[in-house]
Amino acid sequence: MKLPLSWMRDFVSVDAPVEEISRRLSFAGLVVEHVEKLTPGFAGVFAARVLNVEKHPNADRLNLVEVDAGEKGKFKVVCGAPNVKAGMTAPLALVGAQLGKEPPLQAAVIRGVQSEGMLCSERELGLSQDHAGILALGADAPLGGAVAAYLHLDDVVLDVEITPNRGDCLSILGLAREVAALFGGRLRAPRLRAAPSGDAHDGAGFAVAVSIDAPDLCPRYAALAMTGIKLGPSPAWLKRRLELCGMRALNNVVDATNYVMLELGQPLHAFDYAKIAGGKIVVRRAGETREFVTLDNLTRTLDPNDLLIADPDKPLAIAGVMGGLNSEVSDATTTILLESAYFEPMTVARTSRRLGLRSEASYRFERGIDRAGQVGALIRAAELIRKIARGREASPIADFEPRKAEPREIALDLGAMESLLGASIPPTVARSRLKSLGAQVSTRGKGILAVVPPSFRSDLVEQADLIEEVARLGGLEDIPARLPERLSALAPVNREREFITGTREVMLGCGLTEAATIAFIAPADNARFSGIQIAARPVKVTNPLSAELSELRVSLMPGLVTSLRFNLNREARSFHAFEMGKVFRMDGDIATEHNHLASVSYGPYAISAIGDQSIAAGFFTMKGILETWFDAIGISSHISFKAIEPADAPFLHPGRSAIVSLDDTQVGLIGELHPAEAMRLDLNEPCAVFELDLSSLISYGFSPRKTFEPPPKFPTIRRDLALVLDRNFPADMVVKTIRDCGASLLESVEVFDVYEGTAVAAGKKSVALACRYRAKDRTLTDEEVNRIHAVLIEQARMRLGAELRQ
Amino acid sequence: MKEQLEEIRRRAMAELSDDASEAQIDAVRVRVLGRSGELTEIMRGMREVPNAERPAIGQLINQIKREVEARIEALTEKLKAASLTKSLNEKRLDVTLPGMRIARGHIHPITDILEQMLAIFESMGFEVAMTQDIEDDFHNFAALNFQPHHPARDMQDTFYVDGGMLLRTHTSNGQIRVMEKRRPPLAVVCPGRCYRRDDLSVRASPMFTQIEGFMVDKRGRITMAHLKGVLTEFVRAFFGTTAVRFRSSYFPFTEPSAELDMHCLLCDGAGCPVCKHSGWTEVLGCGMIHPNVMRAVEYNPDEFQGFAFGMGVERTGLLKLRVDDMRLFFENDLRFLNQFPALSGGVR
Repeated sequence: MKLPLSWMRDFVSVDAPVEEISRRLSFAGLVVEHVEKLTPGFAGVFAARVLNVEKHPNADRLNLVEVDAGEKGKFKVVCGAPNVKAGMTAPLALVGAQLGKEPPLQAAVIRGVQSEGMLCSERELGLSQDHAGILALGADAPLGGAVAAYLHLDDVVLDVEITPNRGDCLSILGLAREVAALFGGRLRAPRLRAAPSGDAHDGAGFAVAVSIDAPDLCPRYAALAMTGIKLGPSPAWLKRRLELCGMRALNNVVDATNYVMLELGQPLHAFDYAKIAGGKIVVRRAGETREFVTLDNLTRTLDPNDLLIADPDKPLAIAGVMGGLNSEVSDATTTILLESAYFEPMTVARTSRRLGLRSEASYRFERGIDRAGQVGALIRAAELIRKIARGREASPIADFEPRKAEPREIALDLGAMESLLGASIPPTVARSRLKSLGAQVSTRGKGILAVVPPSFRSDLVEQADLIEEVARLGGLEDIPARLPERLSALAPVNREREFITGTREVMLGCGLTEAATIAFIAPADNARFSGIQIAARPVKVTNPLSAELSELRVSLMPGLVTSLRFNLNREARSFHAFEMGKVFRMDGDIATEHNHLASVSYGPYAISAIGDQSIAAGFFTMKGILETWFDAIGISSHISFKAIEPADAPFLHPGRSAIVSLDDTQVGLIGELHPAEAMRLDLNEPCAVFELDLSSLISYGFSPRKTFEPPPKFPTIRRDLALVLDRNFPADMVVKTIRDCGASLLESVEVFDVYEGTAVAAGKKSVALACRYRAKDRTLTDEEVNRIHAVLIEQARMRLGAELRQ
Repeated sequence: MKEQLEEIRRRAMAELSDDASEAQIDAVRVRVLGRSGELTEIMRGMREVPNAERPAIGQLINQIKREVEARIEALTEKLKAASLTKSLNEKRLDVTLPGMRIARGHIHPITDILEQMLAIFESMGFEVAMTQDIEDDFHNFAALNFQPHHPARDMQDTFYVDGGMLLRTHTSNGQIRVMEKRRPPLAVVCPGRCYRRDDLSVRASPMFTQIEGFMVDKRGRITMAHLKGVLTEFVRAFFGTTAVRFRSSYFPFTEPSAELDMHCLLCDGAGCPVCKHSGWTEVLGCGMIHPNVMRAVEYNPDEFQGFAFGMGVERTGLLKLRVDDMRLFFENDLRFLNQFPALSGGVR
């Protein structure tokens, strides 16, 4: 809301500098976002009345004009404007006047006649491009007074951010009231009294009848007919005020309604009375009426619950949102019907949002206008229209209020206030702050105030609202800063957080940098990187920012791969990153979220010293990271890796990728990107990735062991064994089978070499294993171990159908 | 004979000087100690020595022998050491060449900032609770006193998803989720991702991180003065400034509502373009929990009261890190990320 201080000063006098006004408003919750100090583009221009106009003796198109500039004196000037006439008041630039960037005005002789000054057009004053004639000032312009001051060109305009709860501050009067309350000034609200009936409206009369069929949506509707209207431009001062508030001037009738809306906060609408059948207004729901053409000449589709202003035959306006083309005020209009109503905020909000139609009026109705301000605003508008559009009241004010506003009395317990704020505010201070806002305050009992909020503060409904007002007007400065005296018992351990933090530590330690990517992605990326669940259905965003961001990710992979590409495009040689974040998918009809961990690793991983061989990212570097992490969580023995089938994850290399399972349930994928995918991404080296669903792992957590064993006292004895197997037989099955043979004293089995080549048959490989034996109570003898190991070899060979390699 | 021995000793010791070479040492050894060396020769001539003198001479021979041997030993050791030193020096590494490494990864700045914040609140007795991103209207709006169609909803442009749910616009849903399951006293912070319909730009992102905090207890136990105290302490611990102020504001879910400003970190309150010459920057929103929120979680507002606050992690991070581009947080440019610590909170 723009607040020109000159306009505000109509209602309150404050001496404080503008900076202080801004500061206090901001502290009271009305943030002043911007202070604009205006300067006029001219000086030395005064209001002057044209006394008489004569033809210039030597020029047809010029006139000799005598003007009276009050205490500045009377002057004779030459004027070429067609609209100059005796009796008007116009801006007079005297010798020495500064007009824009022109040199100071000099006395001139025009066609043989001395001109002592110049009557100015809007263009000459830099107000607009209008140069059709001289600017007509209002009759109220003080003669000899500076035109800049009269037009408020040296104004200061505050741009105040109004929070949604403060509809009452969407007016000059509302903000003036706040300023008065903050500075202890007195508010001079305008005296709004109806013209004595029978006086202003002429005998002919224009009937105004109102029928409110939807009192739940429109509790009050007031209207007034005015006739004798002469549509035309508004006077400069009024236009200027509208413009300062960011509104465009249209014509004197519309401008007057807008002016009153800005001043008092009550939106008004002017209908062409002649277009209203029988002068009868019906306030009703749209019901069967499906379409309506609004002022902007667009056909609007209506909802049966939209509130319409209609006559008995047809709709005239969408209540509180926009008027109709069929009843618009035009040059031909002589009689108007002014509407001043209260529409329920919810109905206006719903309709204007659905139609995408936001107006200054709907903005105010949505936020709640003064529940009792309808008649006052009509009076104020009538006063203006009389003055600037020659209108006269043609009817008494019709005022219908089928649903009366119930005055609310709220009890304010000062003790409760103290215990909420943690500060004691003297009752007299609380009382006077509430009163300054327009509330009626009385004492109900000991320490309890009875407060009746003013009709324009619909946001004050319970005690907490009043406490806020009291605290707010003190700028919250009455409240000290204190630490709570007592903290609750030690907060319980958050296992999920512990797990996430621990996992992050392991990933960082394994050389992965933490990344963060945005959850919105393109459908193509979801299709390409299907994540852990190949059949996962992506969650669609109903109202996406763009098609490229229209789905939620089912996998963290697309974001990480995009980041890889981003870095490679910026001269990075390697990229090793992980992300922990949520992915989303549809489970039936329900959108669900899942915590995932994923990584992308590309380029040199272990950087060698000069002259040694570096280790590049690949399946086994990634697997090593996962194994380190599984060890850290203590779940290694529950984890297995199984080669993928191509259909499991089409984006992965079918020969260099695995499914990761926890106790036979798939929890993730690991592998290198499919060469086709790598080529698409323009990657020259293998790109290793993994992704895991953390939800099933979190329960394992980073929980410390509960029991410990002392280190063994006796040494192990190692015996090796090499088995020749089919090339595709997985090593972990070999180890598992050997363990399952159940050799006593066998402590560990470990693969230490795999050989493929000329020494074994084609399609075969040799797997070399180290078996370690240990007894808890003694040092084993070679003989004993040899006996056990020989049995083991025989069993393993048989179970695996393997040959022993000598 | 004694003189002869003394002469042998003198000559040998003179030749076994500190800088004697290996060859010189060897020559002395052969000449003095060798099988037909000088001392052996004298031993052989012992028969001619009178009996009375023999023990003394024998003693002297042994003494000279030990001395020379010890001396030779010492010199040989020294030579060996010198030669080792020499050969080691010939194979010196260029210690300035880079080492072999698996570089430790770097923490993402959002995590870094968030963990610092959580650590401060945890040390003040707050517990951390994680809540959901996909939310229903009740937990994101209605329970937080956003009336249907109320313009306050326009303050946060919401994403809706399949299945009639929405993406939370703030972490304030955490307040509702925790309170509806538990009873006071509560002191909880809820970090998490939030979503609003803003294009990714220097100032905004459609996905961002917030931290919501609240404290609830019996009426009078947690007051607005405590809100001021806890948050002032937070700003002091996190930003290192005590220059803070509270301004009245409006949020549907708190009343009274306030915004917390602190002295602009760039100009320390003097006024600069970044703070629009006000000297202050906005840090967070806060207030006393609205009675309607209490009612929504079935707490009696006459019995319980408390405060709540919420702040944007990226926004606060931008202030603290003194960078001014939101996009940096989501591009994952290593040249940016590598500037952040490789060790997590508390160690620094």
